[in-house]
Amino acid sequence: MKFDDQKIRNIGISAHIDSGKTTLTERILYYTKRIHAIHDVKGKDGVGATMDSMELEKERGITIASAATYCEWKGHEVNIIDTPGHVDFTIEVERSLRVLDGAILVLCAVGGVQSQSITVDRQMKRYKVPCIAFINKCDRSGANPFRVISQLRTKLGHNAVAMQIPIGLENNLQGVVDLVGMKALYFDGDNGEIIREADIPSDLLDEARAKREELIDAASLFSDDLTEAILEEREISSDLVYAALRKGALQREITPVYMGSAYKNKGVQPMLDGVTYLLPCPSEIENVAIDMDNNEETTVLSNDPDKPIVALVFKLEDGQYGQLTYIRVYQGTLAKGSTIVNVRTGKKVKVGRVVRMHADQMEDVEYLHAGYIGALFGIECSSGDTFTSPEVNLTMISMYVPKPVISLAIVPKDNKSQVAMAKALNRFAKEDPTFKTFVDNETGDTIIEGMGELHLDIYVERMRREYGADVTTGNPRVAYRETITQRAEFNYTHKKQTGGAGQFGRVAGFLEPISDAEFVFENKIFGGAIPTQYIAACEKGFKQSMAKGPKLEFPVTGVKVVINDGASHAVDSSDMAFQAAARGAFKEAYLRAKPVIHEPIMKVVVETPAEFQGPVMGLLNQRRGMIIGSQDEDVMCVIEAQVPLAEMFGFSTILRSATQGKAQFTMEFAIYRQVPQSIAEKIALEAAQNKKSAA
Amino acid sequence: MIKKEMIYRNPLVNLGYDNEDILPVGGFGAVLAHAGVGKTALLVQLALNGMLRENSIMHVSLNDAVSKVDLWYQELFHDIAEKFGIAEINEYWDKIQPYRFIMTFKVEGFSAPKLEERLTDLMEQNIFKPHTVIIDGYKFDDAGRGQLVQLKELAQKYSMCLWFTVHTHRHEPPQENGLPLSFLHVADLFDVIVQLATRGEEVYIKSLKGKSNASAKNDLLLDPETMLIKTGN
Repeated sequence: MKFDDQKIRNIGISAHIDSGKTTLTERILYYTKRIHAIHDVKGKDGVGATMDSMELEKERGITIASAATYCEWKGHEVNIIDTPGHVDFTIEVERSLRVLDGAILVLCAVGGVQSQSITVDRQMKRYKVPCIAFINKCDRSGANPFRVISQLRTKLGHNAVAMQIPIGLENNLQGVVDLVGMKALYFDGDNGEIIREADIPSDLLDEARAKREELIDAASLFSDDLTEAILEEREISSDLVYAALRKGALQREITPVYMGSAYKNKGVQPMLDGVTYLLPCPSEIENVAIDMDNNEETTVLSNDPDKPIVALVFKLEDGQYGQLTYIRVYQGTLAKGSTIVNVRTGKKVKVGRVVRMHADQMEDVEYLHAGYIGALFGIECSSGDTFTSPEVNLTMISMYVPKPVISLAIVPKDNKSQVAMAKALNRFAKEDPTFKTFVDNETGDTIIEGMGELHLDIYVERMRREYGADVTTGNPRVAYRETITQRAEFNYTHKKQTGGAGQFGRVAGFLEPISDAEFVFENKIFGGAIPTQYIAACEKGFKQSMAKGPKLEFPVTGVKVVINDGASHAVDSSDMAFQAAARGAFKEAYLRAKPVIHEPIMKVVVETPAEFQGPVMGLLNQRRGMIIGSQDEDVMCVIEAQVPLAEMFGFSTILRSATQGKAQFTMEFAIYRQVPQSIAEKIALEAAQNKKSAA
Repeated sequence: MIKKEMIYRNPLVNLGYDNEDILPVGGFGAVLAHAGVGKTALLVQLALNGMLRENSIMHVSLNDAVSKVDLWYQELFHDIAEKFGIAEINEYWDKIQPYRFIMTFKVEGFSAPKLEERLTDLMEQNIFKPHTVIIDGYKFDDAGRGQLVQLKELAQKYSMCLWFTVHTHRHEPPQENGLPLSFLHVADLFDVIVQLATRGEEVYIKSLKGKSNASAKNDLLLDPETMLIKTGN
């Protein structure tokens, strides 16, 4: 069976928070007739945008979980993943990008390339996602799409070319000039659904010609036919231009830029045309998987629907009908009733219901072909799992998952809440690999860990609302780490004779710091001073010690352990004895290896009106922040700093009050760095108190 | 060790500018070159040298974003320090990074009063007090003398030295003193002027003004990767 996927587009909409991507998605759904009315984010009708399916998202006016949806545009099937804009949720963005073939980078015509756009762009580069840009909010005062195009070039290094020029700007935005077809487009009707083509207004003709020339110049680099047509001064057809642009866009060598205002219903449909003309279909993207039966070699997947199934779970949601598993099929056909295997667990499952999602409504389908995104019901799995046909053992390359940097203790108010909380935590941990939960053995508290204050706040809030778990939270705790700074030797004998079989083991060697790994164990024993069968026990003992540092009981990282001597006893030595000897040796050498505490340092980017630059820098400085630099951009200013996470709690409130609510910031983990002495003493004191109260 | 290596291979000191800071307090320095020869790299090198001596360096870029300027520093520092262990490099980098502040403006948005406003913001709150300011991307062709005089006053007022990159054009033949015509109207404001030039694949540095040790070499071969003196030179 030959299956034509030329008319499928899997796209994401990625952008900075508040650049209007949810509104844009809403308009796309409206024009593709997936919805029949428009509800705005924070709209007066109280319905909220269709893609913001969670109650909380509706209330906060932000998109937290990506909702997948599918629509049709001019004979093309378009699967859209709406992605969150806040950095705390970037795992969602990353997961979406992993399963997408192309993306629309939404930028604000006033704010331009903001810090989050830079993060999102970096992620797109990592997953080699071709993109087109849409400059939204051209109706806003201060809108300047060409400034944004120049920022795309200078700040993100995109070869950005305008596909359109606006007809009027700010309050006077009337439509756009299509530079390929050289015609003016106006958007009539109550919701801009009627596109009226007209001649280009005479006052824009010169500008349109100049910009078209730029566009064709840029496109000609990707097409000999187009270059020939230019040189021979032949008429240049739209198809020729689109073919050249498409080639460039697929290689990420050119970024076609559309513009308009989603809110004012202008410019959305031409951008959708751009999606179909310029973004790739699934077979144009090379997807690879790891072959577990063949030495973990990478293998290129084929879009052939007749080949064995390979599909990736990229999102789980707990809906009213049970667990909904969002899945992208990379190879084969996933049909109702087919048997698939979860490569991670080896469990076989039979596919029950297969659906396509439209925000929180769904549509039953018989099968999903390679290249499609859909959802399954009743499948037990975690996010990031690969499902395959039983005859193959392939796994999609694991996604990069950052480690959590902040933790919070949560306590349920009563038994009912305890049960609900457990259910909620289990679900969240499955849905989001950056969200972790465990029980602290000493205090008995349930601890949740994540990527930032807002990240955890949202989950606590969801626990209350969706699961009815009444919980109280403790103060957020920073994930400190311990490490050593110099080499220290050990020579430790573990000896116990308390009746019955004794315990004996001696290990000698040294610890030394390393910076590129968490733990390295090296066995340099020659001549069998420690019999080979006990070496693994030694390694285990050292590894156990890394979980809780002898200094302040934080996890230890960056240690290389070398053992070069030891002794054993024919009767009394055992795995247990050598594990205990290794733990003792670690303890013995550790304090002599000058341990220090490391803390997570966050990259904080604040965008503020220039008049607040001084106060904002002051705020960052007070928080032990190191300001990397400041960037003046007309009326706005962007300040980039590295600030310890421990100092960032409550920063959003303080920033708001210092800047009359006009500044915003994003924060992401950057690096672990040594804590200054004075702070280390404070942390030691707090740790001692915690230990005391736990006892 | 890294510090020693950088000072040993510093092209300006080796060119006969024997004062470690090269410029006097309130002084101006300029690096002249055609586009793409390595003006920014040389000044970043100079800045790294200052940072290693615990002098605060403010890098004002009128072309590039903060992240790009930061990358210049990291790349050049890692290039010089590559023979040292990664732990030592990171430790040193953490140590010297607080001595640097990057500030970027759009060319048209930059002016002496604006720079002063930003500087006072930083100094009043004790956040950063620069010893040296590097201004990269200043348009000498367009700017009159007035703006530079204002900057000179600023340099004297806050006891800083200022380094500039000067973009020379290939179509503009140098005058007798080696300076391009478009720079002559302000040349007297500068205490030190050096020029970077290419000969084939190689980059040379040449002193045009302000050398205190006349017997020192007149031009030196640089390693285009690091803009330090090529070892074995």
